Amino acid sequence: MGAIRRPDTGESPLSAAQIPEDVFAAMRRDNLARWPTGAEVDLDAAVDFHKSLPEHKRLPSVLRRAVAEGRCLTQPRGGFGTLELQMELMRTLDKDGFADIVPTTTDSYTRNEHFSSAQKGIEESKRLGRSMLNGFPMVNYGVAAARTLIEAIDKPGIVLSGTAMPKLTSEIGFAAGYSGYLGSGIAYTVSYTKDISIADGIRNYQYLDRLTALYRERGVELHRRQPGFLTGTNIPPSIAIITGVLDALLAAGQGVRDYGLELGQTLHLVQDAAAIQVCGELCQEYLRQHGFDDVFTPVTSLHWMGAWPQDAAQSAALIVYGGTLAAVGGAVSVTTKSTHEAFGIPTPEANAEGLRMTRMAIYLARSIRLDSMPEFQREKDLIRKEVRAVVDKVLDMGDGDAALGTVRACEAGVLDIPWSPNRCLKSRVLPARDADGYLRILDAGDMPFPKDVLDFHEDRLRERAGREGVPYDHDLAVTSVYEISETLDKLIPGLPAAG
Amino acid sequence: MGADNTSAERRRTLVTGVIGSDTHIVGNRILGMALEKAGYTVVALGALTPSDEFIKAAVETAADAIMVSSLYGQGELDCRDFRNLCIEAGLEDILLYVGGNLVVGKQPWAEVEQRYRDMGFDRAFPPGTRTDAVIAALEDDFRAPAAGGHKAGR
Repeated sequence: MGAIRRPDTGESPLSAAQIPEDVFAAMRRDNLARWPTGAEVDLDAAVDFHKSLPEHKRLPSVLRRAVAEGRCLTQPRGGFGTLELQMELMRTLDKDGFADIVPTTTDSYTRNEHFSSAQKGIEESKRLGRSMLNGFPMVNYGVAAARTLIEAIDKPGIVLSGTAMPKLTSEIGFAAGYSGYLGSGIAYTVSYTKDISIADGIRNYQYLDRLTALYRERGVELHRRQPGFLTGTNIPPSIAIITGVLDALLAAGQGVRDYGLELGQTLHLVQDAAAIQVCGELCQEYLRQHGFDDVFTPVTSLHWMGAWPQDAAQSAALIVYGGTLAAVGGAVSVTTKSTHEAFGIPTPEANAEGLRMTRMAIYLARSIRLDSMPEFQREKDLIRKEVRAVVDKVLDMGDGDAALGTVRACEAGVLDIPWSPNRCLKSRVLPARDADGYLRILDAGDMPFPKDVLDFHEDRLRERAGREGVPYDHDLAVTSVYEISETLDKLIPGLPAAG
Repeated sequence: MGADNTSAERRRTLVTGVIGSDTHIVGNRILGMALEKAGYTVVALGALTPSDEFIKAAVETAADAIMVSSLYGQGELDCRDFRNLCIEAGLEDILLYVGGNLVVGKQPWAEVEQRYRDMGFDRAFPPGTRTDAVIAALEDDFRAPAAGGHKAGR
């Protein structure tokens, strides 16, 4: 296989190497010219503003301190369609939710760079007096407006933008004073796009990671973060961690030294704790192998990312339990949801309640560890075997280059993601929950997991099929998609149906 | 395969997809699997599908219904002109379903449903609807064709 070239220019082949300074300067000029607010980005002024922020409003400092103190921080998600609504939301999350990290989620038009549609969404939201967008259109509002949001809170701000096209939101967000940005070339391209190639997704995030390094060269550390929750639906820990390792290598290659990893909760206490520990461990192992021995890799645990129950009480249980899972697993932070999750975007108040429920659970679970449990060691070993088998093969396919290896591995199905909307992937791998509540791999597709590992998964899933008296087939995966959102009477045999 | 609705007459064709800038594909894919199992021909457009692609596919495949999914809250903006676009394309009477998390935030379902009926959708389905309910609705609507209930939502 030859080098993969850009479809339009053909200038530079895809690789994991750092973008040269002069090339990057030209890329930035082109990028910032794509929308009028790009002209507001002034790197020197942005660097000065970041340096003027107190430590407790800089995400890298806040995260390092949490690690040092053994704390688990809380962070919600949240975005509305106008500056006024967004500011009220961020203040509520900060003051009433005691969020340690305050988010700005961008709307889906912005994520897809449909800025004209986002503009209409702003106008409609103003006209109707309610948010018609599912997030904040940061690029349309621009640097000065976004900075008023940073000034309105007393915590660090993070940009959440589920996109394979982060180049303008990151420029605007960093220039406004946000000190974190969630997203990565592999994870978001496979999870949030249909037609964007993995190579282009990687390139777009290499831009963002190179931008992060540019700030770093000027003395401003910014936090980058990998969304290992992927498609959010029953992602086995190993698949999340495989993408985490590869995305971390790509980010480090551009000069990033503060790179968080997110893991969606499986909702199994032992499996989640094993995942959190092995994620940090293996990312460090592979980073060091590639000569990056100074990357900070805090792990964040995410409240359930699949379908939620409509019953507020059942949802509250997932929120509280999610705080427990994060704390017991030793995550540096937990990203929270609310009792409104089944219905979509929560009100600021419901969102703040989710934060407080989670924090109470973290407080209660503060010193519980599972290290002496045999199942904990078993699950950690299992995840390590799965991750190493696939990551080693991917790197091998790229002759040591994570970018090339990833593109080739996706084509071959060696790297595969359950329920992916992206056409570049085979999306044959299928997870299902076993009888004990662990997420297992029902169908590995073409992923090169070791035979003994797959035998174990099959054994566990056959046991579930046997106990339920259902066939051992793909329906096990489908029922696992719905399971957590079911009503209690469906989940618990013998319980009378809800009235 | 080989469900009842195929034996009586021709096999019906349904266009499915997730509208707008929305990537939530899982439920839509499971719906597609269930519809195929129920004997329908499914033209699955997948995630991130603009309105005009739904309509183009419906014209090209002479579809009997378009099933629009939206999970991310912005469906209200994406679906506003959907029936009008169908009419412009000569699909005045095509059956239109929409389902998912159809608005930003938790709003009373009756109001949301009415809003989408007013846009010209024959049926709107709330969050958490299972595939059985959709298949039952399709059977009802195909059994009583041209009832005229969906004429531009009046």
